Amino acid sequence: MAEKAILYDATRCTACRGCQVACKQWNENDEYIPTVENGVPAKNTGSYENPPDLSPSTWLKMEFREVETDGNLRWLFTRRACMHCTDAGCVKVCPSGALYHDALGFVGYNKDLCTGCGYCIEACPFDVPRYTSNVLTGIARMDKCTFCTTAGLNRIVEGYEPACVKTCPPDALIYGDRDELLAIGRQRVEVLKAKGKSNAYLYGEREMGGLHVMYVLDDSPAVYGLPAAPEVPAATVAWQDVIQPLGWVVGGATIVGLGVNYIVARANAHKEEK
Amino acid sequence: MNQDKVEKYRAPIRILHWVHTVAFVTLFFTGLVLFVPQLGFLAQDSWTRVIHRIAAVVFIIAPLIYLTLDFKGAVRGVKMAFTWSGEDLGWLKAAPGYYFFGNEKGMPPQGSLNTGQKLWWFIVIVFGVVFAITGLLLWFGRAALSAQAVLWLIFWHDVAFIVSGAMLLLHVYLGVLHPMMTESWSAMASGKISREYARTHHGKWYAEISKSRES
Repeated sequence: MAEKAILYDATRCTACRGCQVACKQWNENDEYIPTVENGVPAKNTGSYENPPDLSPSTWLKMEFREVETDGNLRWLFTRRACMHCTDAGCVKVCPSGALYHDALGFVGYNKDLCTGCGYCIEACPFDVPRYTSNVLTGIARMDKCTFCTTAGLNRIVEGYEPACVKTCPPDALIYGDRDELLAIGRQRVEVLKAKGKSNAYLYGEREMGGLHVMYVLDDSPAVYGLPAAPEVPAATVAWQDVIQPLGWVVGGATIVGLGVNYIVARANAHKEEK
Repeated sequence: MNQDKVEKYRAPIRILHWVHTVAFVTLFFTGLVLFVPQLGFLAQDSWTRVIHRIAAVVFIIAPLIYLTLDFKGAVRGVKMAFTWSGEDLGWLKAAPGYYFFGNEKGMPPQGSLNTGQKLWWFIVIVFGVVFAITGLLLWFGRAALSAQAVLWLIFWHDVAFIVSGAMLLLHVYLGVLHPMMTESWSAMASGKISREYARTHHGKWYAEISKSRES
């Protein structure tokens, strides 16, 4: 099956935040209003950004950046949500299979299976997963963008595009086969370069083995607040690819060794008695 | 008192042992569900984490209570785990012959803990501390720590789990199943072992207690 993806063109985005609203509406995530109860102070941050951060009920958020170059002020917009990596750190560490690679390439999430361990939070190079956790008991559940495939709210299997894409007025978000979007993205980057944006870049073509949310940028990723070289953390690799397999070997060898010892020692113990 | 028996472990030690056993085995299994993908479904709704934390409190507090009750004895016991000599090497060399084939020749006389027991005791102390520190930091420090720090804490918690988990299997096997370890169980259950077993398996210790009783 052809891999699907979302292409976000930052140069076309008007930051209307319709995608934020559509995301919340479709996925039934109540609006995140700072109140005394949820402990989030309502404060003016001097930005149009709202809410202040991703949260278990905010899976998509637009970030605004004011960047000054050569005396010119630029107002840049970045879409913040799960990037749906091919080599996803979160899938690597998830102990229960709640996070998984969908046949269409993106990172699916089955909230019912989540154990609340929070391993995915530290393993994500984009700092996307969020959970509400009881500090004392550790009762927790993670949440993130599911590419609109949450059970019962699955737009993709019905043949619809994700809610954020559907609502985007300037077509800054488009959905389709990843190969086709790559071609469109490369073409856009060429156009931007021809216009003098020499740092224009298609983010997600190769990052993390290929992202399923790709960005057309008219400047280098760092300017947009994106990690230039995202990677699965070294500690995650050491833990998952070295220590855990070693644990299986050590545990297995111990059990086999004890079994062999039991058989040999029992025979010899009987000998002693005679 | 039965003349054929000698006391190996006093009641407070035995109580600590069994309380710690229950706590550690509980921690072992509630941790194992995050290690074996096929068991991951058992951890749904975080209830294994709740049990893990309750057991962790017992795991940490039980030895601390013992420390306050018998500080000198505890220090003496901890010192034992860190005192190693050439005789221990001799024991390790002779051990396979003994534990497989019942060949007692070449086994140096042992103190109240033989080298193998001492090794396990050493691992219990060292990795118990590693478990407690990494666990408490993961429990209470998660929000304040960097992602890198949290990942390395999980890494070391896992290393401790693998080493002490494998050694636990060995410990249980020797105490319960091994055909020649006939009195290990009663040493930790009733606290007493036979004079004969004490003399043949813990010669140095038996000589010590015999001497102190005579004087």
